[in-house]
Amino acid sequence: MSAQAAPVLNARGLSKVYGNLVALADADFAVRPGEVRALIGSNGAGKSTLVKILTGAIVPTGGRVEIGGEPVPLGDPLGMIRRGVACIYQHSNLAPAMSVLDNIFLGRQPTGRFGIVDTRRQRREAAALLARHGIEIALDAPVGTLPTVKQKEVEILKALALDARVILMDEPTAWLASADVARLHATIRALRQRGVAIVYISHVLDEIFAVCDTVTIMRDGRVVAESQLAETDRAQVVQLMVGETLARETVAAARQQRRPRGTGEIRLRVRDLGRRGVFGGVSFDLHAGEILCLTGLIGSKRTELVRCIFGSDRFDAGTIEIDGRAVSPRSPVEGIASGIGFVPEDRHREGLMLDMTVTDNLVMATLDRHRRGPLLSLAGMARAGRRAIDDLSVRPPGGGTAVKLLSGGNQQKVLVGKWLALGPRILILDEPTVGVDIGAKAEIYAILRREREKGAAILMVSSDLEEVMTVADRIGVMVSGRLSAVHDAGSVGMDEIVREIGGGTP
Amino acid sequence: MTTDRSKGRRDFLKAVAIGSTAVAGAAAGMFGTPGLPATGFGVTRARAEGTRYRMAFIQWQPHTVPAAWSKGIEEVLTPQQVIDYELLDGQNKVEVQVSLMDTLISQGASVIFLQPIDSVALAPSIAKAKRAGISVITLNIDATEPHASHVEMNHYYGAMDIAKAMGDAMGGKGKVAILNAPPGIIIRDQRTNGFVEGMKQHHPGIQIVADQVADWDRKKAQDVLNTILAANPDLGGAYGVNDSMALGAVDVAKEKGLLGKFVVFGNDGETAALESIEAGELTGTQYTDVYQQGRLAAAAATVLATGGVEAGAFAQQSRLLMPYVIATKANAGSIQPSQRW
Amino acid sequence: MTIRFASAALVLFFAATIAFFSVSAPRFATASTVENLMSSFSFVAILAMGQAFPLLVRGIDLSIGAIVGLVGMVVFDLSLIFQVPGWIILPAALLVGTAAGALNGALVVCLRLQPFIATLATLAAYRGLTYAVSGRQLVPGLTTTPIRDPWIVGIETYLDVGRWTGLSTFVNMPWLPLSFVIMLGVFVVLQAALSSTRFGRDVYATGGNHEAARLAGIPIGTVTVCAYSISGFCAAIAALIMVARFTTATEALGTGMELSSIAAAVIGGVSLAGGVGAMFGPAVGAFLLGTILIGLTLQGVPQFVQQIITGAILLAAVGYDRLLWLRRERRPAAGAGPA
Repeated sequence: MSAQAAPVLNARGLSKVYGNLVALADADFAVRPGEVRALIGSNGAGKSTLVKILTGAIVPTGGRVEIGGEPVPLGDPLGMIRRGVACIYQHSNLAPAMSVLDNIFLGRQPTGRFGIVDTRRQRREAAALLARHGIEIALDAPVGTLPTVKQKEVEILKALALDARVILMDEPTAWLASADVARLHATIRALRQRGVAIVYISHVLDEIFAVCDTVTIMRDGRVVAESQLAETDRAQVVQLMVGETLARETVAAARQQRRPRGTGEIRLRVRDLGRRGVFGGVSFDLHAGEILCLTGLIGSKRTELVRCIFGSDRFDAGTIEIDGRAVSPRSPVEGIASGIGFVPEDRHREGLMLDMTVTDNLVMATLDRHRRGPLLSLAGMARAGRRAIDDLSVRPPGGGTAVKLLSGGNQQKVLVGKWLALGPRILILDEPTVGVDIGAKAEIYAILRREREKGAAILMVSSDLEEVMTVADRIGVMVSGRLSAVHDAGSVGMDEIVREIGGGTP
Repeated sequence: MTTDRSKGRRDFLKAVAIGSTAVAGAAAGMFGTPGLPATGFGVTRARAEGTRYRMAFIQWQPHTVPAAWSKGIEEVLTPQQVIDYELLDGQNKVEVQVSLMDTLISQGASVIFLQPIDSVALAPSIAKAKRAGISVITLNIDATEPHASHVEMNHYYGAMDIAKAMGDAMGGKGKVAILNAPPGIIIRDQRTNGFVEGMKQHHPGIQIVADQVADWDRKKAQDVLNTILAANPDLGGAYGVNDSMALGAVDVAKEKGLLGKFVVFGNDGETAALESIEAGELTGTQYTDVYQQGRLAAAAATVLATGGVEAGAFAQQSRLLMPYVIATKANAGSIQPSQRW
Repeated sequence: MTIRFASAALVLFFAATIAFFSVSAPRFATASTVENLMSSFSFVAILAMGQAFPLLVRGIDLSIGAIVGLVGMVVFDLSLIFQVPGWIILPAALLVGTAAGALNGALVVCLRLQPFIATLATLAAYRGLTYAVSGRQLVPGLTTTPIRDPWIVGIETYLDVGRWTGLSTFVNMPWLPLSFVIMLGVFVVLQAALSSTRFGRDVYATGGNHEAARLAGIPIGTVTVCAYSISGFCAAIAALIMVARFTTATEALGTGMELSSIAAAVIGGVSLAGGVGAMFGPAVGAFLLGTILIGLTLQGVPQFVQQIITGAILLAAVGYDRLLWLRRERRPAAGAGPA
């Protein structure tokens, strides 16, 4: 696919130092026209820093970048865009109140005299773009009203409209359903045919092996390996990423510890639970000392279901029993009082206080324990924080770090730690490892398993089938708001689950 | 042998008597040369029997003085069954007063009482009212556009008399400070210039060492006077251009134990000032019966509205100076409670 | 263009308010009231439109009233102390206002001050400067001298539109204040800039998603400074209109107008979070506030009640806007769901 042409993007010796922290050290990175290069590494490995330098968002402390053989000034987003480097970010980079059309041409609307926008030309170009890539979208809809999937498409269109020579995609499929992923990959292949170079940043090894040609692996701020994907395999890649055969061990160890269903008392009993127009007729039991994974497509309303169990949303049909007692949590306060801990999907918006420290976040839900009269015992809080940080292997291990400076995986650990501090009898997690690197994922699984040994009942929503197969004791499949079946994990294969998810009968 | 007290009362009554004749004379003067034909765009208001007259008072902002005027106006207007009166607030904003003027003009008011926040800014509105045949009566603060009538406390001569009384109390020599209003207001100039003139005429031995702005405010006056005292420790007296500032000076005098030695005069004649005088703290003030001022304004308004007299028919704007009394401990007691505001 | 013009609800509410007062307040539905509304509130509408720009870029301009005062005093000084002819004063005034606004923008962009803090500081600074340069205090006689320069005073003229169009034979037409025509001019120019130029899109982008705009290469610093400059420019126009109306300037001119302009803009659909709004809403909002105030005065309602009612309307406008937004978020939009 990729001819032995000169690289269109060639970065040499890039480094970035923030005070004492070396985020990137002497990194080389190059892509050729028509090459799809995967960029992988744990968070904290330097991937995001490299991407930010390449898009002009930050200025490196050292190194240089050439595009098309010419050296370019760094730290200028507009300059990079003009030279054909586009990036599709993980977090939404759109103006939500403006239309799709305006967002596609953000900052680059074609203009006539006096800077008046040539709307006809804009529309023509956009229509051509849509036709060329077979995407359908309402050009005048305000972007904020579109579902996440469609918003991602707009971002892709924005990059495509730039006629970029290099497109960086940061976790492009994080929120996409499998059918959309296939479409994205088809688009990527089409772009490759046209000679566009693509940098594909992702944690999903399946996708990487499916669509990429080459891979660059980073660890601890350095590039540790580059390879043709055809010449390597998953295990090797993961090994290079994590530095040991942790992943293999993890998977094996996990499968060994799987438990048959039915042991332990019934902590949570859900019967015919329903919320009008959203989901209905859901019944299952959750035992102490087990991990039940709810899987399914995006849109199967699993999040809505677990929010009702916790109490952040109301349900209007069915019953919930906790430890044999009927409950009807109407607010998170009541949910917590019933012994439920809830780790939400969007850790940034719904879980963490990003500007506060790690310790503050960890003790946030259990502040009462540290009260001495009307005041809080700061020493007690610090102690509890240190213990949790040790327990969870949060890195960097300083309680006074602002949590927004942590990597995604470590942030997730802090969030889980906050809820564990409550000692919940039931722990609900909603997509806990999205955007988390493999190393941290393993650590989180270990934490969950430990809690399970201690007797907690764990209900986990996950769309990552590999994760589900690794961690679950029992697997529940939801399709369009209905729970179609619950299986014992040891006795069901991935294909069967996949079929059920797609709507076929088992 | 007349006692001080009855002497004080007689002085007061004399003042009132003179004042009343002044009023009568002024009222007579108001009729100037009636019968001139209406000129320009003016509309002669021929009121038929049974019409109601609308009048309103646009004040500067809520304060004891305009409140008392309004009460006086109401006392005169309410018994007259055909007049509707309301009090409107200018909220200390020129544009609000102008807008209210416009509203009243479009409502077809017959008389507007006005306490202009700015003498020039309200002039166009007064002109507009005149064109619509509405009489405008200003209170205390004049406007640059000639209008039906202006009723004011006697700022200038009153201040002169204050200077005289103050000099007398100080024994004809010493230093005084003036606690003044923010600049740019006519009444401030009148009260200050009168004071300065009065001192020059009656007590040339007295030195005015400071003239600072205290924003009509008691608290600010305390701060300002403290500063002045620090620079002039032998200050003998202070003149507050209004009572609030004078009372602030009294507060400072009390604090420094200077009561009895330090002479303070105010201007306006509010109840608080009178009480302070009777308690022996404030030395004196210029007292004007503000209710009376309102009543007189209302009386003029009634005549203009119901008497079929065309506002534009006067050869010149009539100006009514209110009688006043320099209230000191000697005669403050003769001011009746119903006259206090 | 998905940029909201003004929700239909606002216009309906405005119409309903007019209808209500026409029936319940004596002499509301008269030519003179319409004239009064136009002449007293056109400059408020201009201020609201100016305030909308900093709001659109997710900022705020608390100093807009102080700029009005400053420009007013500058006009006063130039005209009465320095005897500068009016045709020079007009552009000078606009320049001063725009510069004051640009300074606000510079504080926000270069010093990275929060807009609230920056404009709160300039609010005090500009007002203090107004007192410092006040001709009325420097030259005492000027307190009673009106401005007579025809270029300035000419702003306060009334056009007999009724006679020109011949309509006055049928109905008693209000005379059209020139300030209203000026307001219309400002509206046309600013709205055209917002909806049809690259600058307008950049304004919406900067306010809608600051980081996205930056990464898309939009010069957000320049856009922000321009937005605040427009606010200052509109303040200057409003100051000229007011000085013409009063034939003088006071040191306190414009006090409290920042609140009216923000209220009118928010009622008119401009979001305090940035990125949403246009010019029509703030203008309608200003006249709506004016209608309510005049109507209530004609009805004889005490003024503190008027302020309570204005506050209630502001609350309702913001709440209604929020309701619409929530309802939009909850609805599954077209094209949702997996294939």
